Amino acid sequence: MRDEAKEGNMSHVDDGALHAYLDGELSPVERAQIEAHVAECAACRTRLDEERVLIQRASQLLGFAQPPPPPRERAAPPPLHQLRHPRLAWRLRMPLTWAASVVLALAVGYYVGGSGYRLAPEDGAGAAPGTVVGIAAPEPVSPGLNDRSATEQARTQPPAAPAAPAEPQAVRAREENAKAAAELSAAVVTVDGDLVSARDRLDVRDWPVIGRDPARQLLGTDPVGVPGLAVRETRRSPAGDSVVLVEQEIDPTTVIRLFQRRAEQVDVGRRVVIRGAPSAARAAAPDARGTERLARFVGSLRVEIAGPLTPDSLNKLLEQLKPIP
Amino acid sequence: MPEDLADVYRSTYRALVRFLYRKVWDAERAEDLAQEAFARALVHKPEKARGWLFVVAANMARDEARRAARERRHLTLLKSEPDAVHSAPEDEIDADAQRQRVRLALEQLTPRDREALLLWDAGMSYDEIAGQTGLARGAIGTTLARARRRLVDAYEGRSEGGQHVAR
Repeated sequence: MRDEAKEGNMSHVDDGALHAYLDGELSPVERAQIEAHVAECAACRTRLDEERVLIQRASQLLGFAQPPPPPRERAAPPPLHQLRHPRLAWRLRMPLTWAASVVLALAVGYYVGGSGYRLAPEDGAGAAPGTVVGIAAPEPVSPGLNDRSATEQARTQPPAAPAAPAEPQAVRAREENAKAAAELSAAVVTVDGDLVSARDRLDVRDWPVIGRDPARQLLGTDPVGVPGLAVRETRRSPAGDSVVLVEQEIDPTTVIRLFQRRAEQVDVGRRVVIRGAPSAARAAAPDARGTERLARFVGSLRVEIAGPLTPDSLNKLLEQLKPIP
Repeated sequence: MPEDLADVYRSTYRALVRFLYRKVWDAERAEDLAQEAFARALVHKPEKARGWLFVVAANMARDEARRAARERRHLTLLKSEPDAVHSAPEDEIDADAQRQRVRLALEQLTPRDREALLLWDAGMSYDEIAGQTGLARGAIGTTLARARRRLVDAYEGRSEGGQHVAR
C-alpha cells in the first residue's frame, strides 16, 4: 500500500482506495476525500482511469468464464418451489445408488386399515394429485427407502437395482391385501400387476390439534421433527390409533408432515406407498396433496414424512429427524 | 425466515452458479451444487442466507477433490499445448478457449485473492467479502486491486513485472 487518501491531498491515493472508490464501497467522506485529491493530482487522475480500465477488463474476463449456455431444460433458473421438487432431486448427484433408491422409492408405506390412516372416498372433483400404491408385502417395514413401484423401477432403475422381483403369489397377496386396505379406507383402487393404485385423498385438516404432552403420551416418547424448522401444528389421528402428526414449516407456504407412531404398533400386513403426482402436475399445483413420502424408524418411532418436495429432499429431511421436546 | 429465501434465490441463484462454476468448471455440477446449497438453506434457514449460501457453496466446491484432480490433469494438458490460441485475436477465440484462458489466469491468483474476486463478481459487498474471507474490510479494496491486476496480467500472458511469459 502506498498512501492513504485520508492522509491529505498531498498523498497519493493507494490502489485499494481507488478500487474501493470505483466499486462504490467508500463512505461519502472517503469519496469526497478521493475526489478532492484526484481533482488536484494529475497522477492519481491517470491512475484512477487506469484502475477503472483494469476493473472493467477484469470484469470482462470473468464474463468469459461464464458457464456455457445451459441446455434447453435448464435455460431458466428453476423457481424455488421447483427446486424443491423434481429437478433438484435428479441433479443432486448423490451416490447414484442412493439417489436412485430414494427417487424411485417414491415414498414409503404408511399403514391403512389398522392404522386408521384414512383415505377418503374419491369424489372425482379435482382428482389429480397422488396415486396410492398399495403393497401388502408382509415383511417388516424397513425404513422404506428401498420400496419402489415396479413401473418406476422398470423405467429408470438400472438392472442391478437391489429390489428383488416379487413372487407371483406375493403379488397376488399384495393385490388382495392392498385392495382390502383400499376398500377399508374407501379409496378407489386399480390393479396393474403388483401395483394397486388409488387416489390419495388424505386430508389431515380434520385431525385434532393436540399439545405436546398428549403427543408424548400417544407415542410414549417425544415426537420427532426436523431441527430448526418451526412446528406449525401437532395433531393426532382421529381414528384413535395413536398416530401423531407433526407439521413443520420450511417456509410459510411449504409444510412437511411427519406421521409418527410407535414402531411396535405397526401393522406390517398393510402398507400404502403413496406415489406422487407427475412432476408436471406438481409444478402446476405445488400444494397438491399428491406428495412424495418416505419413512424411517427414529428410536422407537416409525416416522413417515410427506410434503411437496422431491423424494430425496424429503429423505434428507428425514435423515435429520430428532426428538423435539 | 429472517431473509426471504425466495428473494435470495431469485437474486442470487445465477450468481451462485457462476461463482461455483469458476471453482468446479463444470456448469452442470455448478448448478447441482447451487441447488444443493439452496436445499440446505431451506432446512437450516440461516439468518443471512446470501452469505451463508456462498460459504456453503464454497465448502462444497472445495470438497470436489476428485473432480479437481481430474481438472488439474486437464489443465496440465492445456498448458503443454502450443500457444496458438494465445496469439489469436480475441474475437476469433471461441468461448471455450476464452474460458480456459480465464481459468488458467484465475489459477494463478492466490486462493484468497481469487476468492475475493469471485465473491465480488458474484455481487457480494466488501462487508460480505470481509465476513466470508476473514479479511479486514479495509483490505478488500487492496485485495481486489491485486487480484484484478494479476488476473488481467495472467490472461494477457504478462508476468507481474509486465513481461509476457508465454512468448
